[in-house]
Amino acid sequence: MVIRRSFQVGTGAMVLALVLAGCGGGDDSGDGDGAETFTIAVSNTLVGNQWREQMVCAINAQARVSGVVDDVVLANRDTDASGQISDLEGLISQGVDAIIVNPADRTALDDVIAAADEQGILVISVDQAVTAEAAYNVTNDQVAYAELGARWLFEQLGGSGDVLYMRGFDGHPADADRDEGFQQALADYPDITIANEVFTGWDPSTGAQQALDILSTTQVDGIWTSGIDYTVVEQFEAAGHPYVPIVGADNNGFIQQLIELEGEGLVGAIVTNPPPVGGVATAIATDLLTGAAEHPQDTLLTPEVFNNVDDLPALENLYLPELAQGESATIEIAPWTTYTQQDVLDCKGPGE
Amino acid sequence: MSSETSAPVRRGRAASVRRWVRRRGWTAGVWLLLLALIGWYTTLIPEFGEFEITSIAKNSLPSVYLALAQGVVVISGGVDLGAGGLMVLSNSTAAALMEGQPPEVTVLIALAVVAGAALLNGFVGWVIAVSRIPDIVVTLATLFIFTGVALMVLPSPGGGTSGQLRYAFTGSTTGIGTNFGPSLIAIAVPTLLFAAWLTRTRTGLSIYAIGSDDHAAYLSGVRVVRAKVTAYATGGGFAGLAGVALTAIANSGDPRFDNAVNGTLNSLAAVVLGGILLGGGVGSVVGAAGAGIIFFTLSPILTAMGIDPNTAQVVRGGVIVAVMVVAGLLQLRRWRTQ
Repeated sequence: MVIRRSFQVGTGAMVLALVLAGCGGGDDSGDGDGAETFTIAVSNTLVGNQWREQMVCAINAQARVSGVVDDVVLANRDTDASGQISDLEGLISQGVDAIIVNPADRTALDDVIAAADEQGILVISVDQAVTAEAAYNVTNDQVAYAELGARWLFEQLGGSGDVLYMRGFDGHPADADRDEGFQQALADYPDITIANEVFTGWDPSTGAQQALDILSTTQVDGIWTSGIDYTVVEQFEAAGHPYVPIVGADNNGFIQQLIELEGEGLVGAIVTNPPPVGGVATAIATDLLTGAAEHPQDTLLTPEVFNNVDDLPALENLYLPELAQGESATIEIAPWTTYTQQDVLDCKGPGE
Repeated sequence: MSSETSAPVRRGRAASVRRWVRRRGWTAGVWLLLLALIGWYTTLIPEFGEFEITSIAKNSLPSVYLALAQGVVVISGGVDLGAGGLMVLSNSTAAALMEGQPPEVTVLIALAVVAGAALLNGFVGWVIAVSRIPDIVVTLATLFIFTGVALMVLPSPGGGTSGQLRYAFTGSTTGIGTNFGPSLIAIAVPTLLFAAWLTRTRTGLSIYAIGSDDHAAYLSGVRVVRAKVTAYATGGGFAGLAGVALTAIANSGDPRFDNAVNGTLNSLAAVVLGGILLGGGVGSVVGAAGAGIIFFTLSPILTAMGIDPNTAQVVRGGVIVAVMVVAGLLQLRRWRTQ
């Protein structure tokens, strides 16, 4: 009796755990209904970052309007290179047709990407390039991104001053590229010194705290940010520090500040770093999967700089009141993406 | 049991089955649950073969080792919040030192890292045992210290190791493939040896004894401080092994704090699901190892099911709560029937 009962409870436990683990899941039959539909997977290792969310939305939107993608599978969690390797292996096991990967490491994924290629899975790296031979790379030119913004800042400072250097995610390939570009610019301005160098981890609240701490205690003449910008601008007032020239990305909130606080003396420049690079990768993936068009192995999007001294109308043109502060105002990228702005805002994948 | 005419022999057999269920039932249940999950996973993907087995086996290695590390400390009546930090420190140190070295040297470095981690954590255990500062405080501090030192050793992700060392953990010199033997061995052998050592040797049993009641253990002649230090040291060794396994899997090191925190939290979850009593003295590291694999396996399963990734964390938490409820019910039933 006792034995049987404890077995019953044990079995109940297992069923309960299984049901919990399975909640919300349905049998996913995958592809196989239409003749020419594909499954695209996304591997992302930074969750809760608005740029990445928008990248995923652009992938969803482009997949939806392409008409040839029946499912977008998301492998989305905070992890490191080893976790991303296991995510990619899981996606290979699922037999997806293409994987769009925002790599946590430039070289560590080489072998798993080669394994995907052997299975006939198309791999496209976005945001930054990977060294794997088989992979397509669709990237914003991160070296140019940092260099263009830094040169504008150093010119704005008249070639001398103390600059607060607010980097991105330590060890991330895009951060390494940006550092390269930044250092190239810095080499041409011997009188510019780095007042402080911090890693924001591309986290708006971390960046805000760091800016507050530094601006409260140190005099800086200019700030270069790796895209954590609008929360930094908010700290000038709190820290009792006058506005100084600042470089950020094409985040909607930052553009808004550059427009609205221009009269109060805020000078700044945006450098475009569009998350719709995910949409571009999706467009290339569907072209390659259907054989509709050929694409080169590497697609490099060149960033543009707009500042609120010379290009205020351009900024006003970019600003989208309906977007959140942290979202990038650059949404469509010709000639690749075919979705509308609303598609990205809806963030719905095929069949959703 | 109701009376009737049960012969002494039958009664004896029933009692021994009952004892087995009581002792090993939970561990067996955990591994059955793992098998059920994997069986379910096979239905979610087009093909389940050697590639998938290898992938699950090798990628769950760090979770398994960390579950063993946390398991022994919890059995001894403590908790080691620093385990994830020690894994990250070992991972960073190994990756920094092993890059570009010949295979023999990388193996020596691996051994040195494991031994170093054991020594370091043994010292932590000694501090806890002697100072009587609560373990949760001391190991919270070591979580920060270990991760901080990791950042000094390896400022940003990088480093590497030899193909041979990768083979030992992943079954392939490139870290990916279909050879699941080495990874399965790397799970089974340390887990079973460790479990045998814990339950069959004087030192191992003394760890259970101090976890159950350190005062009673002391009165029975167990050297409490020594057992405590041994528990933390062996735990540290396994945290070090987890770091080395990570290096072998990714061919790089990653010093970031997030990895340390995730490691610690997942190891605690594995210990709970694995049936080790948080108060100490009860449970098997074999169960914790199985639970470590379960928590790893949930991630590809949820992805394959197309579940919103943010829900995955909720499911993880749900499983832990469900397990605690079931454990409580079982305990209640046991009290009633005794």
